[in-house]
Amino acid sequence: MFFEARRPFAVSTLALIGALLVSACTGAAQPGASTAASAQGMSVAGGTVTIPIGADPTLNPWSPNAFVESLFINRAIFEGLTKPGKDLAPAPDLAESWTTAADGLSWTFKLRSGVKWSDGTPFSADDVGFTFNDVVLKPDLGAQNRASYAAVKSVTVVDPNTVRFDLSRKFAALPSFLAYNAGILPKHVLSANPLTTTSFNKGVPVSTGPFKVEKYTSGQSVSLVRNDYYFGPKPYLEKVVFTVVPDPNTQIAQALAGDITIMILDNKAAVDRVKTANGLAVVSRPLVQYYWLALNQTDPRFTDVRVRQAFVYAIDRQAIIKSVEFGYGSIANSPITPALAAYYDPSLASKYPFDQAKAKDLLAQAGWTPGADGVLQKNGQPFKFTMDVGQRGVLEPVNALIQQDLKKVGVIADLNTMEWNSYIQKDVVRRDYTATVNWWTYPSDPDVFPYYHSSAAGKGFNIPGYQDQKLDDLLVQGQAASDLDSRKAVYKQLQAYTSETLPYLFLWYPQEIDVVSTSLKGVPELGLRDAMHYLGEWWLAKK
Amino acid sequence: MIVFASALTFFFVNLAPGGPASIMRFDVSPEQREALIKLMGLDRPVPERYLEWLAGAVRGDLGTSLLTNEPVAARIADRLPNTLTLAGSALIISIVLGIPIGVVQAMRRGKLTDHLLSLVTAVGLSVPVFWLGIILILVFGVTLHVLPSAGVTSASSDTFADRLAHLILPAVALATTILPTVVRFTRSSTIEVLHEDYIRTATSKGLSPRTVTTRHALRNALIPVVSAVGALVPRLLGGTVVTEAVFGWPGMGRLALEAAQGRDYPLVTGLTVIVAAIAVLASIVVDVAYTRIDPRLRLS
Repeated sequence: MFFEARRPFAVSTLALIGALLVSACTGAAQPGASTAASAQGMSVAGGTVTIPIGADPTLNPWSPNAFVESLFINRAIFEGLTKPGKDLAPAPDLAESWTTAADGLSWTFKLRSGVKWSDGTPFSADDVGFTFNDVVLKPDLGAQNRASYAAVKSVTVVDPNTVRFDLSRKFAALPSFLAYNAGILPKHVLSANPLTTTSFNKGVPVSTGPFKVEKYTSGQSVSLVRNDYYFGPKPYLEKVVFTVVPDPNTQIAQALAGDITIMILDNKAAVDRVKTANGLAVVSRPLVQYYWLALNQTDPRFTDVRVRQAFVYAIDRQAIIKSVEFGYGSIANSPITPALAAYYDPSLASKYPFDQAKAKDLLAQAGWTPGADGVLQKNGQPFKFTMDVGQRGVLEPVNALIQQDLKKVGVIADLNTMEWNSYIQKDVVRRDYTATVNWWTYPSDPDVFPYYHSSAAGKGFNIPGYQDQKLDDLLVQGQAASDLDSRKAVYKQLQAYTSETLPYLFLWYPQEIDVVSTSLKGVPELGLRDAMHYLGEWWLAKK
Repeated sequence: MIVFASALTFFFVNLAPGGPASIMRFDVSPEQREALIKLMGLDRPVPERYLEWLAGAVRGDLGTSLLTNEPVAARIADRLPNTLTLAGSALIISIVLGIPIGVVQAMRRGKLTDHLLSLVTAVGLSVPVFWLGIILILVFGVTLHVLPSAGVTSASSDTFADRLAHLILPAVALATTILPTVVRFTRSSTIEVLHEDYIRTATSKGLSPRTVTTRHALRNALIPVVSAVGALVPRLLGGTVVTEAVFGWPGMGRLALEAAQGRDYPLVTGLTVIVAAIAVLASIVVDVAYTRIDPRLRLS
């Protein structure tokens, strides 16, 4: 046995050397994936879709340990009162319709009747009351996303098919927020231990969506099968398998090998390689996400709006989009992203062209003049500060580009790269930072109150700690305006005002790149995580 | 020794900057953070928490994972067999390939074969595992389509052959972290032994070179190699961290990475204890192996 094994391994060692040569010369050859199925037209039932996720998910949308890898499955199996519509406006899910009271201080949701949990138990308004009153609104549980419901006092079960959200202040965005990771939990399963029941979170949860969990294998995969008790039409797919593949490059290799049906391409550098692969298509999707540079407002240098504007002029944002996003993104000048098409104001896109002369000019007006070494100075002090860089995604190359751009206008930014967890503690929890780049992803609604209101400065989500009475007023008006037209008017003003005052320095709106097998049909044109709400409509063309 | 390792780890991970992943995220409000710290008991002093952990550990209870609320012992028990399979296979590959290569090099010292094999092992030593792993996947999984690229088994079939196929690439990748060292140790110790007087005596007795090498030289040359292999076990376990991440292998290495990144204090401590125990066990195995190879060390 000892020596028998030797030969094959020696062969594979030789093959390994060959492999290095092959990859060096050609950058890997064509995959063996079969050609696209040409079948069009009628949807067909059956088949398995495979989707990679980066780590073991936590199957409970309100668990504080449900990180980004949990979103795919949680959005597919748990249903909220609403879900993001295909236009991102809130659409019916477990609720059929909703209305706000004349005073705007409550919302009433009419629930769908005849809904059952995947274990056959009937779903009712009690489950909604439980999810909010006993989980989300309970301060000592620390439920995820709890901060989004600060305006909700309690949820009243009016009758088995009606619930009312009672508010402490007007909250027009509530139906949109309920579409965002706000799945309803089964009271009959979780009443003892809503957020830490392992057999639920890491096993086979009870849910209401078109699919339910069949098997959870830690470190390997989670498989979904059809939920026979689902109230809607029977889903086409027979099975959906989420494989746990932590390395993004391995995910790409698996897609090239034909082992994956659809995935988000995190490493955009691979986009050209994937485009040439047989049987795979590449699509880009808008996201409700924007990158920003926060300048801590406790630093007096950054309270001068001319300095903030000068920085935006000085940074070549198009170059950042080109080099780190491979063109998949657009310049941002406000917190409202193009994905929110009903609200987004495209006229602001060209507000700050890349113009370093203008940047120098504005900095000079603010009292910053070049010293002998070219570095800007004011009162004998050089313009020098540290930017903390969290090690995640594209943040490292982006910071390097910003550093170079600022240097050209005489501002010295030192980069302090940190492991992600330590970075969050320093910059977010302690607010011990001067400048840092990051991003916000938020529910599909222009209500950005938590990230901008002065009440959140220094401790909540207002990272720069910017405080401005006029902005506060706009944010509150937006929450109070309940009809679409008046909301549009408020948020148009808010976009104009934030692009002028720059509470955060807006960088760009990223797009998601999805790699999709050409045989997969019926996926709506949404970011993949949002498209999970429509898993019941996906289908596979026969090859 | 193991208790010492656990205390050191417990205090160090608790002193490291950051905190459990559930509170170190962007979208957690200060009041949620406070509630969670209280729920996890992290508002209590570290020595108090350590003593509590130790009291449980001696009874076999390694605490509860902060990331999943599962018992740490269960999480490790779930992953340990996979890591032992992977690391064991890599160790076997390294020994089965490494010792013969080292002996061949020693016998052909200074010749072309020696130089070529030295070059190959030097490359092997300097290639990072994550890169080699991706190359292996691209070649054997994507281009040639002969081996699965990741995971421990296919979703559809779970047979022995399927598991073996999934094991090959990660085991080969992991073996490269120690194979070159095994080769070098074997080569140098064999060269040393070949200069000994008793080898010259054996050769002059008229024994065939084959008998001299296998019966006289190799046996003595292996003694330092065995101790080197024992010392390589911790490095091998360290290598599983990267290898398991690249190949989606559900083992302890990946668990350790997740635990460290997510500051899962009980899980990090539990893993350290287990790895320390394995390292201690490996050194015991090496000591036993010594007595088998070298009769002088045998207790009468």
